[in-house]
Amino acid sequence: MENSYSEKEEKQNIDNTSAIEYPAWFDKYFQGDRILWLVIFGMALVSMLVVYSATGTLAFKNEKSNTYYLFKHITLTLAGFAVLWLAHKIDYRYYAKLSRFALLLSVPLLMLTWYFGMNINSASRWITIPLIGGSFQTSDFAKLALITNIATMLAKRQGKVQDFNETIMPVLIWSGIICMLIGLSNISNAILLFTTSFLLMYIGRIPVKQLGLMAIVGFIAISIALAIGQRGDTAANRVRSFLGYNTENNFQSDQSYIAVSTGGFLGKGPGNSDQRNFLPHPYSDFIYAIIIEEYGLIGGLIVLGLYLLLLNRGMVIVSNTNFVFGGILAAGLTFSLVGQAFLNMGVAVGVAPVTGVPLPFISMGGTSLLFTGLALGIILSVSRGEIDDAFNKHKTQTAAAQVNANVIKDEEDEEHENTFRK
Amino acid sequence: MLDNRRWIVSGIFISIGIIFLIKLFFIQVWDNSYQTAAANISIKKIIIYPHRGIITDRNGKLLIANAPVYDVMVIPAKVKLKDTLGFCDFLGITIQEFKQNMGKARKQITSDLQPAPFLKQLSKEDYARIQERIDEYQGFFMISRTLRGYPQNSLAHVLGYVGEISPQALEKDKSGYYRQGDYVGISGMEASYEHELRGQRGVAHIWVDAKGKEKGKYQDGKLDTASIAGQNLISTIDLDLQQFGEKLMEGKAGAIVAIEPATGEILAMLSAPTYDPNLLAGRGASRNYGLLSQDENKPLFNRTISALYPPGSTFKTVQALIALQEGFIRPETVFPCDVSLVKCHGHPVGGVHNSIQFSCNPYYFSVYRRIIYQKKMILKDSVMTISPDGDGKKGYTLWRDYLSRFNLGRKTDIDLVHELKGEVPTLNFYNKRFGGESQWKFSNIYSLGIGQGEIGVLPLQLANVCATIANRGFYYTPHLVKSIGEKKLIRSSFLKKHEIGIDKVHFELVINGMRDAYRMGTVSPLAIIQDLEICGKTGTAQNPRGEDHSVFIAFAPKDNPKIAIAVYVENAGFGGAIAAPVAVLMIEKYLKGKISRDYLQKQITDLKIIKINKKAIE
Repeated sequence: MENSYSEKEEKQNIDNTSAIEYPAWFDKYFQGDRILWLVIFGMALVSMLVVYSATGTLAFKNEKSNTYYLFKHITLTLAGFAVLWLAHKIDYRYYAKLSRFALLLSVPLLMLTWYFGMNINSASRWITIPLIGGSFQTSDFAKLALITNIATMLAKRQGKVQDFNETIMPVLIWSGIICMLIGLSNISNAILLFTTSFLLMYIGRIPVKQLGLMAIVGFIAISIALAIGQRGDTAANRVRSFLGYNTENNFQSDQSYIAVSTGGFLGKGPGNSDQRNFLPHPYSDFIYAIIIEEYGLIGGLIVLGLYLLLLNRGMVIVSNTNFVFGGILAAGLTFSLVGQAFLNMGVAVGVAPVTGVPLPFISMGGTSLLFTGLALGIILSVSRGEIDDAFNKHKTQTAAAQVNANVIKDEEDEEHENTFRK
Repeated sequence: MLDNRRWIVSGIFISIGIIFLIKLFFIQVWDNSYQTAAANISIKKIIIYPHRGIITDRNGKLLIANAPVYDVMVIPAKVKLKDTLGFCDFLGITIQEFKQNMGKARKQITSDLQPAPFLKQLSKEDYARIQERIDEYQGFFMISRTLRGYPQNSLAHVLGYVGEISPQALEKDKSGYYRQGDYVGISGMEASYEHELRGQRGVAHIWVDAKGKEKGKYQDGKLDTASIAGQNLISTIDLDLQQFGEKLMEGKAGAIVAIEPATGEILAMLSAPTYDPNLLAGRGASRNYGLLSQDENKPLFNRTISALYPPGSTFKTVQALIALQEGFIRPETVFPCDVSLVKCHGHPVGGVHNSIQFSCNPYYFSVYRRIIYQKKMILKDSVMTISPDGDGKKGYTLWRDYLSRFNLGRKTDIDLVHELKGEVPTLNFYNKRFGGESQWKFSNIYSLGIGQGEIGVLPLQLANVCATIANRGFYYTPHLVKSIGEKKLIRSSFLKKHEIGIDKVHFELVINGMRDAYRMGTVSPLAIIQDLEICGKTGTAQNPRGEDHSVFIAFAPKDNPKIAIAVYVENAGFGGAIAAPVAVLMIEKYLKGKISRDYLQKQITDLKIIKINKKAIE
């Protein structure tokens, strides 16, 4: 923190954000990083347009009106926004407390999912919530819990990042367990989450030597999952197809390439996709292919740009925050979201083997939208905290500096700094 | 906070983004194979053709059936022939034909993985032989289709034929049902009952990927429709009578139409010379059509509904009925046989009965004159006076109106396509021909009075006139189908009784004349058969291009008639000599089921008037 932080950098950031005039109500209701807010709204807009077009076939197949899925999607997006808004209002430090409990809860939940989960596309990734009756993907929950927990652990032990037993061991064990459990029913999500944990440890200044060990643990966890899980064959097939050994089962990716290649520079125009009739899940797994088909290379660039902007804002938030926990948490969530987005886009353009991950905040899907909303809300909460700090800093700069120093010293209790600030 | 590591991570993400862009560029610009693939992907619609309805005769004998034919199909991509020559021998084709067929098959499909016909319309015998070993040749298989078959080799003009829909017909089709390559009825009942016979085509939607591989039912078959089989028809035709007639007419040109008077059902309808309807189905159809259409005897020409003949003396029955009904003559009215008016042959002189029996030409010259000038006979105070000449144009119009009631000069609306309406000239026709209304008079048109001149009737119309006389004043529209489908429906227009508007008493008079014309009048003694009460009228239709046509109309029995018939035999001369024996044999065959005088049948059958062109019949 001491190394990277400089007055100059901070000033620039403040200048950038204040260059555009925002209405007063915007600041009142949408606190935190304004550009990130705009990115989120942009994603929601793209989402509405493409989901409406891509669900045409689904609506016809299920004998629903053509706006049925659009309204369902709008409702879920609004719910996602509600979660986001609430999450950004809550002080992010509060999430640290919840994380350990959530992590412990996610272990039985994941096992439950594997045993009794609803079978969608021969992968049990969903469980039905008793009483409410809705189904949700437990891996989304576990992912959030693990990232928050790693951030907590790493933040607490910033002074002892070299200490294998105390710092690295717990992170390794938790990442291994959770990723293995997720991998039982969803290999790509498991790899994605493990990569995120890996990046978090890297960012969290774990020595590079130890990271090699992390990679070995990840490899073992995924291998176990492949061996005893239900998706081993599928994963192997898809990788084989991707590498070109298997020409029979390329249907999905072939259809995706057709969508991409016929889209051209400007695309076929909204609602004119042909490939939505042939691509499985054109509204989630292959939504990027539909975006390029309908809006062309330009549309594809804009969506790619939105996620790169999200990454950029995440990094800016990380660099502006004064707390290790907030920084690692924001970084982890950003990496997780952008990584997932890149995997999804990579499948559509053929850089990655076929996987079943949705495009965050753009694809249709309840759980994904809600948990993405939660993740974005937490990132915004971190950025909001930063703004408060910046505000405070002008007044009590020395005090703030002292607090920061205290945080590093006081590894046990985040609450302490809160009290102090108040 | 944190160190430079996060910029490294950002760098990684940005590099991945750049990789995406490069890959996108490759797919969109560099490699166009996916755009080609896009053109090939589709939801394949497989059309399920329904069974076309079959047709039976009035006694349940099969007239049209669906004969199975077999095609050898090929999937070019799967073909692995070790011994091409051996395969050619096996199919009975040459190596050149093999290459041609293969090339043709390839042209019909977009991907070598799709099946295409290789060798079409194999016979049942070939099928049995080839089916057994076709599995040995990879990439080839057999499918069966149905083809129209005419098991009786008869009734060509009535049944018609089916063929691929023409581009013109496709353009005219408003319903949008037909597609290129569909088979439709082109003539005969196949055409007029197309809608009933064809049924409703079904469609199966199959999801096909870019490589032509079937990926299963599209949307679980929700959009699929089942095919509905066509309706079967029961024809009014009596096959035995029909085939008997066809036999009698061998070596002759002409037409026979036999109607059941009480219903209008057509018992036999034939145009000679005819052809085997199977010639226009199956492999050689187009070649055979070419040969048949070039034949100078015009076997494709359906004379019963498309040939215009003068009615000749048979028309005298109609003239007598009109004049009697209008009061222009009375039963006992006598006109002298004045051969200076129009030539005649020696016979006793008498009233209407006598004029029909002996077919007196001058008598009908006078009758027609009375009709045209509307010369009514008025009996007042036991003195018979005759009204002065009326307006000739008015009389002609009146006469024409009566003919129309007899369905002459207009379509009968039989259930066949391409029916002509016959020819009864209008006033305007003569005005034009003679250059003005006042430029022509009775002397210009008197030959109409004896059924010659500008009048033209169809054999079908003449048979209908005969049926009307047999019914004593009414007729039902002649028709060929008595029952459609399982519900045994019939077109409602065939149930409507058409009244002529001539009193029954006049018919009795004419009918008695017809009975005696047959028994001891103009009919050749050869034709006479004692135990059937046949009423007939001979005719000789003048033919400017050659020998006169022999005409005869008849019905039997006299009371409660079962059959009314009209016979034309082209270039056969006097009606009593040829057409009458043909008609009488037909009546005997229908009423008795057998022929008592084989010699007569033989004599008629052996009579060859035209040369049969053998080329087409193979």
